[in-house]
Amino acid sequence: MYNFWAEVLKMPTIGPMYAFSKDLGAYANDFMNLGKIMCELKIRNDNYWALVNAAYARAIKDTAERAPKQFLTKDDFENYRRAAIEAFEDVFTDLFSSSEFSAAYGNLFSAQLDFSRALQGIAEKNLKVLNMPTRGEVDEMLKDIHELKKNVRELKKSIEMIKNDRSRSATT
Amino acid sequence: MCRKLEKARSVLHTAGDIEVGQTPCEILHETRAYRLLHYQQMVSKTDKTPILVVYALINKSYVLDLQPDKSWVRSLLSQGFDVYLLDWKTPTTADKYVSFDDYVNEYLNDCVDIVLKKTKTDKLTLHGYCMGASMSVMYTTLYQEKVRNLAVIAPVIDAEKDTTVIGNLAKNMDVNKMLYVIGNLPVEQLYSCYSVLKPFKQGVNKYFNLVQNIDNDQFVGNFLRIEKWLYDTPPIAGETFRQWILDIYQKNLLVKNEFKLGDELIDLTKIKVPLLNIVADEDHLVSQQCSAPLNDMVSSTDKRLMRFHTGHVGLIASLYSQNNVLPKVGQWLKARSQ
Repeated sequence: MYNFWAEVLKMPTIGPMYAFSKDLGAYANDFMNLGKIMCELKIRNDNYWALVNAAYARAIKDTAERAPKQFLTKDDFENYRRAAIEAFEDVFTDLFSSSEFSAAYGNLFSAQLDFSRALQGIAEKNLKVLNMPTRGEVDEMLKDIHELKKNVRELKKSIEMIKNDRSRSATT
Repeated sequence: MCRKLEKARSVLHTAGDIEVGQTPCEILHETRAYRLLHYQQMVSKTDKTPILVVYALINKSYVLDLQPDKSWVRSLLSQGFDVYLLDWKTPTTADKYVSFDDYVNEYLNDCVDIVLKKTKTDKLTLHGYCMGASMSVMYTTLYQEKVRNLAVIAPVIDAEKDTTVIGNLAKNMDVNKMLYVIGNLPVEQLYSCYSVLKPFKQGVNKYFNLVQNIDNDQFVGNFLRIEKWLYDTPPIAGETFRQWILDIYQKNLLVKNEFKLGDELIDLTKIKVPLLNIVADEDHLVSQQCSAPLNDMVSSTDKRLMRFHTGHVGLIASLYSQNNVLPKVGQWLKARSQ
């Protein structure tokens, strides 16, 4: 039965279903890829928050050690606030300065970008029917404009230099 | 306490309305990328050598003129200097490929030429802050004939020696991918970076202090101005940010004399003009270990490193700055201005 349907899917289609079946493979790949990226994003997100949560637990423990043991006066509450701020500041600054956190942050940022890129690709494919320039096409235009501006700047500089040389040689 | 909390809540909603950058100035030149401001003189006689202040690409330049009693610009004016400021505008998505080559070789160079033409002088003092200081250093290596003095505040020079959280986060950012996928560095990403800098002393404790001091109008005014500046952040052009992180932080090319602006190599040893390098020993954004090596790299014989006991923003926008930093900076500049 499975082999029968596999063979049916391979048959060429006609009419409105043609375009759909032609791109079905590509669409399916895109969504599978998106799924893989989302799994990777979740892993990296979990790693990131594991570090933050561990730091939070350490900060709570440090606060308990540094804080006053009784809360009778206003100063006791004030001292507790100071102890908590210092403990959290020390623990989290150590965390954010560590190579482990730098790697986790970088990996999470990268995974978020992968996710965005996958969504952009899917959106671009599906919006082709609107006949608008794609992100890639606009990007090429921006690059060209930037290059042109640079060339104009160089040309203006050269013209200025030639003008200066000519006025110098005219005065001598 | 409830009254104070309620007052603090309503006051925070007005942070956007507070006035900043009030020192009178005119817009000398304006393009899509920047405004060149010329400040009104405050004394009758000014030094002939103009000062062009080059601000960073992060946050807005009015931090240098936050309020009259803490204004870096105003202090320079009252010491008799002719002050110009390069105020960067907000990049758009069309500026994705704008790089340091554009910022230094086009925008900064154009501004220098405009200032020299207006003041009828052939050299000026280039005075950069943070990323603007790094750009001023790059500029001086290429256009030294237009620079009389180079006075920089907290420049990023040797990123490998940087001890800050920012330097740590930069090590593993995939900026090539960022440029491809999202283009310019978005504001939200910058805010997430800010949130890891002194997260509790500055992120949480400052609001406790605000509530406690809510009836002190001066305290509240100072607080709101800094708060307004902190959250008034434009995006950074994609290619510029890519170079900043990849070439300057990760590969550390600037201190190795391997950083390129377009096709031109930035060789710090070429700098021979008088150099003043101002650093803060409690700087949590650009550590002094990252800034100080500039003095060892240049070939200038007249060079000085000034260290101050304050932070990155305190160096330019505090009473400490007014009383301790600016008089010494002014003295150094006066001795080397025409």
